[in-house]
Amino acid sequence: MITLQTADLVRILPEIVLSIFGILVMVLEPFVAAAQKKLLGWMALLGVLAAATATVRTSFEPGLAFGGTIAADEFSIYFIYLFLLTAGLVILGSIDYLERNHAQHGEFYALVLLGTVGMCFMAASTDLIMIFLGLEISSISTYILAGFRRADRLSNEAALKYFLLGSFATAFFLYGIAFVYGLTGTTNLLGLSARLMEPSQWTTFARVALVLMFVGLAFKLSTVPFQVWTPDVYQGAPAPVTAFLSVGPKAAAFAVLLRLFLGGFASAGTVSFWILWISAALTMCLGNLAALWQTNVKRLLAYSSIAHAGYILVGVAAGGSRGISAVLFYLVAYALMNVGAFIMVAHLSGTGERLVQIEDYTGLAFERPGVAACLAVFFLSLAGFPTTAGFLGKFYVFRAAIHSHLIGLTVLALLNSVVSVYYYLRIVVAMYMREGKTEAATVELPWPVRTALAVSVLGIFYLGLAPKLPLGLSTLAALPLPK
Amino acid sequence: MQFAHDHILSIILFIPVVGMIPLFFISGENKQATRWWGNVVMFVDFLASLPLVFWFSREAPDQQFKFIERHNWIPSIGAQYFLGIDGISFLLIMLTTVLGFLAVLSSWTSIQERVKEYYAMFLLLQAGMLGVFMSLDFFLFYVFWEVMLVPMYFIIGVWGGPRKLYAAIKFFLFTLAGSVLMLLGILTLYFRYHADTGLYTFNVLELMKHTWPLNLQYWVFWAFMVGFAIKVPMFPFHTWLPDAHVEAPTAGSVILAGVLLKMGTYGFIRFSLPLLPQASTNPRIVKVMVVLSIIAIIYGALVSLMQRDMKKLIAYSSVSHLGFCTLGIFALNPHGLQGSVIQQVNHGISTGALFLIVGLIYERRHTREIKELGGLSNVMPVYATLFMIVMLSSIGLPLLNGFIGEFTILQGAYEVSWRWAAWAVAGIVLGAAYMLWLYQRTMFGPCENPKNQVLKDLSFREIMTLVPLVIWAFWIGLYPKPFFNVLDKPVNAIVERLNPDFFKAAQSARAPAMSPPAAPASLEMPSHAAGASH
Amino acid sequence: MAGLYIPVLLHFVAVVVLASALLGLSWWVGVKRPTREKLSPYECGIPPVGNARERFSVSFYLVGMLFILFDVEAVFLYPWAVVFKSLKWFGFVEMFLYIAILLAGYIYIWKKGALEWTR
Repeated sequence: MITLQTADLVRILPEIVLSIFGILVMVLEPFVAAAQKKLLGWMALLGVLAAATATVRTSFEPGLAFGGTIAADEFSIYFIYLFLLTAGLVILGSIDYLERNHAQHGEFYALVLLGTVGMCFMAASTDLIMIFLGLEISSISTYILAGFRRADRLSNEAALKYFLLGSFATAFFLYGIAFVYGLTGTTNLLGLSARLMEPSQWTTFARVALVLMFVGLAFKLSTVPFQVWTPDVYQGAPAPVTAFLSVGPKAAAFAVLLRLFLGGFASAGTVSFWILWISAALTMCLGNLAALWQTNVKRLLAYSSIAHAGYILVGVAAGGSRGISAVLFYLVAYALMNVGAFIMVAHLSGTGERLVQIEDYTGLAFERPGVAACLAVFFLSLAGFPTTAGFLGKFYVFRAAIHSHLIGLTVLALLNSVVSVYYYLRIVVAMYMREGKTEAATVELPWPVRTALAVSVLGIFYLGLAPKLPLGLSTLAALPLPK
Repeated sequence: MQFAHDHILSIILFIPVVGMIPLFFISGENKQATRWWGNVVMFVDFLASLPLVFWFSREAPDQQFKFIERHNWIPSIGAQYFLGIDGISFLLIMLTTVLGFLAVLSSWTSIQERVKEYYAMFLLLQAGMLGVFMSLDFFLFYVFWEVMLVPMYFIIGVWGGPRKLYAAIKFFLFTLAGSVLMLLGILTLYFRYHADTGLYTFNVLELMKHTWPLNLQYWVFWAFMVGFAIKVPMFPFHTWLPDAHVEAPTAGSVILAGVLLKMGTYGFIRFSLPLLPQASTNPRIVKVMVVLSIIAIIYGALVSLMQRDMKKLIAYSSVSHLGFCTLGIFALNPHGLQGSVIQQVNHGISTGALFLIVGLIYERRHTREIKELGGLSNVMPVYATLFMIVMLSSIGLPLLNGFIGEFTILQGAYEVSWRWAAWAVAGIVLGAAYMLWLYQRTMFGPCENPKNQVLKDLSFREIMTLVPLVIWAFWIGLYPKPFFNVLDKPVNAIVERLNPDFFKAAQSARAPAMSPPAAPASLEMPSHAAGASH
Repeated sequence: MAGLYIPVLLHFVAVVVLASALLGLSWWVGVKRPTREKLSPYECGIPPVGNARERFSVSFYLVGMLFILFDVEAVFLYPWAVVFKSLKWFGFVEMFLYIAILLAGYIYIWKKGALEWTR
């Protein structure tokens, strides 16, 4: 006998609100005149704000919902706010981008909202089946978004590649779930950890299950060696979508990874530890080395986001409440600087994304000092410079890593962040130190875009200079996970 | 007034940052207003730092660090906003505010493009440098250390010479690599402290009270050493310096040589020595540091002799002069350390002035080639006179500042080994050679080049950029006592920390000769020796 | 544990053996007298016209896909109907919502013109 309680609904209120707005935008789309399509973007933004308000209501009623498949705890609420922030910034940055590229369709906003719903479910689920559903919802929306510039060959390639490799990854993940279910007879994470308490229960099959699920997530995290799709997809997808792709699904996959590896699979011990250690090391090194040779800004940022996934994995490998809160803090910092950078790239690239080479930014600072300064802040933060969010994020992660005696990994990460400075500076050098006229300087930045950029820049400095509150929140959010 | 007194360091530190804000509202076209504003802010900052001179000796005489300001910043990691100065940082802060203002004043006509950004960068740089000298919290220190890297990078890279990109990136990557190693060292201390006491703190004073295991000291010493040595720059790490100096605009070179290089030596004195006393007094490490210093002194001087470019010559002379400073530090006695700090100030004054002088001629002739010049004393007598004073101060002529610093360092070095002093003296001789030769080739002889014959002598503003430095040079040269007084206490504290028996040994050695009744002093000797062996 | 699955295995073996035996037997026993008419593809008794590898209008795929979508979703009504009585009002409201969302999709594709053959 299934009964539905109000509390259950309250605990998924943000997802419900987002879905309603997503469907509403979708249905209204054909009824809105072509010139008025912008309104749908504003409506989607309203949906994000409504969902943010709804999350406050949810936070008053924490607990499990729907028979223990959903958890409305500090952890999931933290992630929901992270996704809402990302979605909000992306929508603000897309409205005029779509207008300029003659791709103003309401579906874009609906898909962003529905993709966010999937991500929220990924972060909030405590059941493998629900996690899988969330993964699919978010993936399918983002597959379509990646191909949104329909007339563009690269965009089509990106969508197809993302779709094929993404389905491949979800198949891995599903296969892992099947193994786990076969072994333990449950898909619930709590039940799972109860069944797999003893290290002796980690038979070969259990390890295979662990590896399969990690591979599934690794595609979404774009960790080496499952990163090959990333540069092509990030390059081909419309830049605001890339902003969304590079933050949302990645953060959601990290949420799942934390819940799985530090929750359900906590007893796996050395196996999961070495998986995380090796992929963190490989991801940082390869991402940074490959980024050194890029001439396309979007590809460069793609490799940089691979490298950042590596840094975050260091925090996951560190584990413990310190590691988790460091990861959570880093994800917010990463979201702000990466979304900011991609939105800026989206608008500088002009119609049809022609201007995405580093040379296209030559001398940008001469004509558009404000624009160049914003971009420089994003890159310096990505490089991990003090006073920015990127520095403190890295600092917390490394601190957690040293605390867990991951000295080798920390030294490797430090060396990597020095290497990374070189390629971030290449863009700064082009903007500030090379003479030249660039077409990118003629681009206009309408006020919604300015708002998104201002939020990112201020957020970066806020997290970098006065991180007391955000750090407290990330520590709070790390509490629900077992230590 | 009380408020200003209690928060004097924050006021000095934040005037440039606050001064940046109105700059964003001045139109980019209005270059004159921008220049005025930049200069006014820097001058106000200098004025704000003046009260320190009057308050310093009277303020809390029994405290090691004065004008302390302390607030929690990020409690969860133990980072604090913790400022405080002692005699060493006091002198360097004064050097920074003076040179900062003069550097900005000297850029009035030489910077014509992107004036607004230029002044903004300089203000940010000023705040970063001041913060480095004021911080007593490692985290805060590291933040300022890195923050000042960015504006310097832009100053070289945007307003620099033909090879500015190469120079800027080289400067940035060298310094960054060093500072990341330094960060590793800081983190090691931080975590070790936590492991021993259960507390997370970056408070340098707390860390200094801790006894670190010997092995850890060696590791951290080398990590710090690379970070600071790149900044100084010591011998094998110096290659970024000539490029950065040659390509940077005049004001950038002045600040680079005058203040930035001092951060390395300051780091040694403030952090390496007192935090890691056993490592710093280890004979092998001292030997390595001294040998590197002597190589820098001789090598820098020899390379200077070979230069055709005035700016490059002065850049290499910096390597040589900074070699004296590190030699003084690793003599590890009061004379060496005092001499080193005085010499750091001296180098800031005289090399800063030399770069200004090169800048003045570069602005007129757009070349720094020595062979393009010659006989300038005929057409620019004021210029030649000022150049002469500054050059003599750089050589170390008695009655001028260089002499005091170098002499004290030599004294300190001699107290340890006469060989060190002998090598350093060779460096002084070579220094006199390249400076005098430079002066002779550029100033004396007939003025044959027609381009040089029409050169104008210095304007009032240009003279004013040099005069304060000249006055300061004479002051140190003629009456250095106040400077030594200020340094006495911190330097003795460091020596005490390095070698707890240093002063007692000196006292007891003197005691029997001077006052025979003071027998108990000599009786205490064995107990000190026994205490030291624990 | 593994013994429990032996009947399943036997079932598989039986299915494979039976299927291949029936097909093989009819192929082996049957008499083959091919004629032109017998070899031609069967199209409801009408003589085949043109090439089989013809291009279809893209609308065909679109409508096909939409049909499958709604068809599969309609399948969910069957298990729902089976347990409807025990689900009570909860089941009713849930299915109502489900159909409402389907309806939203239907309105969307209709207005978008995906159902119009000629565009």
